[in-house]
Amino acid sequence: MSDPIPVPTDHPGQVASATPPAPGRSRRRLGDRGLAVAFISPALLLLLGMSVFPLLWALYLSFTDYSATRGGPARFVGFGNYTAILTSAQVHQRALTTLIYVVGAVALQTVLGFAIAYLISRRTHGRGLLTTLFLVPMMLSPVVVGLFWRFMLDAQFGVVNSMLGSLGLGQVEWLTRQRTALVSLIMVDTWQWTPFIMLIALAGLTAVPRYLYEAASIDRASEWFRFRTITLPLVWPLLLIAVLFRAIEAFRLFDLVYILTSGGPGVSTETLSFHVYKVAFLGFNTGTASAYGILMVLVVIVLTQLYLRYLNKLKED
Amino acid sequence: MKLATAAMLLVATTLAACGGGQDDGAKTSAPKAPATIPELTKDPLTLSFIWFDWPPAHALEAFANAEYKKERPNATVKVNTVPNANWHDAMFTQFAARKTDFDIAILDSQHIGEAVTNGNILDLTDFVKKNIDVKAYDPYLLAAYGQFPQAETGKRDENASLYGLPLLGDTWTMIYRKDLIGDKPPQTWDEMISVAEKCQANNPGVSGLAFHQANGSDAAAVTYNTVNGVYGGNLWDAKKRKIDGVLNDAAGHEAMDVLVNKMKPLTAKGSGNWFIDEVNAAVAQGKACIGFNWIAASGGLLDPKQSKLGTTREQILDKLGFATLPSQKTNLVPLGGMGMHVSAYSPTANQAEALNFMQWFERADVQKKWAAAGGVPSRTDALQSPEFLNAGPFNQVYTDSVPRMRDMWNVPEYARLVDIENTGVNAALNGAKKPKEALDDIAREQQGVLDSSNRKGGGGL
Repeated sequence: MSDPIPVPTDHPGQVASATPPAPGRSRRRLGDRGLAVAFISPALLLLLGMSVFPLLWALYLSFTDYSATRGGPARFVGFGNYTAILTSAQVHQRALTTLIYVVGAVALQTVLGFAIAYLISRRTHGRGLLTTLFLVPMMLSPVVVGLFWRFMLDAQFGVVNSMLGSLGLGQVEWLTRQRTALVSLIMVDTWQWTPFIMLIALAGLTAVPRYLYEAASIDRASEWFRFRTITLPLVWPLLLIAVLFRAIEAFRLFDLVYILTSGGPGVSTETLSFHVYKVAFLGFNTGTASAYGILMVLVVIVLTQLYLRYLNKLKED
Repeated sequence: MKLATAAMLLVATTLAACGGGQDDGAKTSAPKAPATIPELTKDPLTLSFIWFDWPPAHALEAFANAEYKKERPNATVKVNTVPNANWHDAMFTQFAARKTDFDIAILDSQHIGEAVTNGNILDLTDFVKKNIDVKAYDPYLLAAYGQFPQAETGKRDENASLYGLPLLGDTWTMIYRKDLIGDKPPQTWDEMISVAEKCQANNPGVSGLAFHQANGSDAAAVTYNTVNGVYGGNLWDAKKRKIDGVLNDAAGHEAMDVLVNKMKPLTAKGSGNWFIDEVNAAVAQGKACIGFNWIAASGGLLDPKQSKLGTTREQILDKLGFATLPSQKTNLVPLGGMGMHVSAYSPTANQAEALNFMQWFERADVQKKWAAAGGVPSRTDALQSPEFLNAGPFNQVYTDSVPRMRDMWNVPEYARLVDIENTGVNAALNGAKKPKEALDDIAREQQGVLDSSNRKGGGGL
């Protein structure tokens, strides 16, 4: 009995495949698609487990009266939680506080951030060092920032009032008066997050083509004219994206409120996020807190969609 | 996007349908601890507590490791601490997960109801009957730190279940500057306000009063409850579960008026967020004529390193006096302190060790040692002992205050009730609300919480 004649082929692999596999052991090589699935599936599973499942679970709980501590079965209450939240005067008050905070903080950060970026972009020396120094607050944990400013703003022992006193000005109750407490929150958030706007604006300013300015200077255009017709229109879309990110972050504000004012005086600096925390952990009304969270996500999604449409329109124009 | 939304809604509807229509099974009861302590392990074991970060927590860890180890060399006691504002959350989020990294929860007396109804802590009734001499305690203290439902009459119900044993007793002490207002402390609340007013006027830079006003934990609420108590007010009608109309009756409004319009103007500017540490700092730095603080947190006042009132303990004590709270229409004082409660989710070996620790800790000789180490005991013999009375200048204040104590509402809804009161009183103290409006809002909102606690459906805003 002679040996089988090998089938000629250009691909060594085919030689191997011509050999019949051992009985009971089917070996298949992964194709491109299989490899893609193998690489993506761990991340996908993680995403499903850590984000999608909790979101769906929260959505389910939002239609029930479930309490995490009381245990027992969750009872379906339909849209009861949503109705309670949307018609609650307490929630309306917190929404207004949050709105004032978001608009105040983001507007201030945008103006300051852009102004600083504009000034830095005009410098030729020390730009890197200045940028790095300005970025330091953004690198700190919000809890650290909160504690740091809580000591700074203390009416009796704080550095800020001490400085005001040395200037002959009176003491300000930064954290314990209704208006100044919200202003203090805006100030501290601005201190921490202005660098973020500055960074994005700086990137936009650096990307403006030089030849446009050169052409404008040949035409003897004024500084204001160049800013209004070249700089601002080109940086504006990027700036708006930075504003979007900051607005979403500010809308979710929790840590600074928790550390600086605990929502006080009274509930005058209690934001929506802080209120959700109280609903979720003081009363452990998990169903209501879930509905609250879902509504907040929906608000962010809807507002973001509207904002993005505006951005697209701006781009088309 | 549309497909994803539809899918989410489908899943939600399906899940919601599965959960619907089920009966109320939320009412649970605490599992029972064995009457006799099970056999203890000989392996190394760490007995973990959870408490908030303050001097008694560190004192407990040091004391237990020094003394308990003599009997149980393989056991190490670890007292995990969290910031005061996170204390409730840190315990109850773990209870919610049905898994705890602590064996003994040190619960505020008002937390017991929530923990018991959720089945989070062991029922110690049989264990206490067999191992603890209940007659050795003031009945009110034993009831406050362990009994549920609470004895609103102030007396322990011998037929009621016990879920905890006293760890640390506490109440407010009045701290006064002997060098500024004289050796004799004011006897009535009105007199105290008058003395503070005069002291503030005569000593520029020193405020008349320093007390808790913050809207975190139970700070502002206890302050209002104290004034409410001495002016003859009630927090609620426990039998009828009625707050609205009781808290904000004439006496309640008078108390709020005294607090906001007479006491607040005598405090330092910007003190609207002060709690334990800030009051101690104001007293130690010589910036207050009269302060109110929890006795268990007052030890630091005598530390020369932290005080500007003297370079030795004796020098500080020449200037500081400690007295029981002045009375007015009544002589009530706030009940503080906490009990020890065994986590229902702790491993069996650790639960056995926890019971053994509790039996050891409640012994008369150990209670006296605990008193000498800076603790505040609850056994009457320890309270009257020289070991306790000589251990600190404020200890006599505690012993004298025990018959005058009044606690808050000990119901499962406590966390929400106290939050409402804290934010409301804090708003009144800081000018965000008028006193009358604040008190009426507190009463109405608290009543809403009580009324909705047994109602079907969502809620909790």
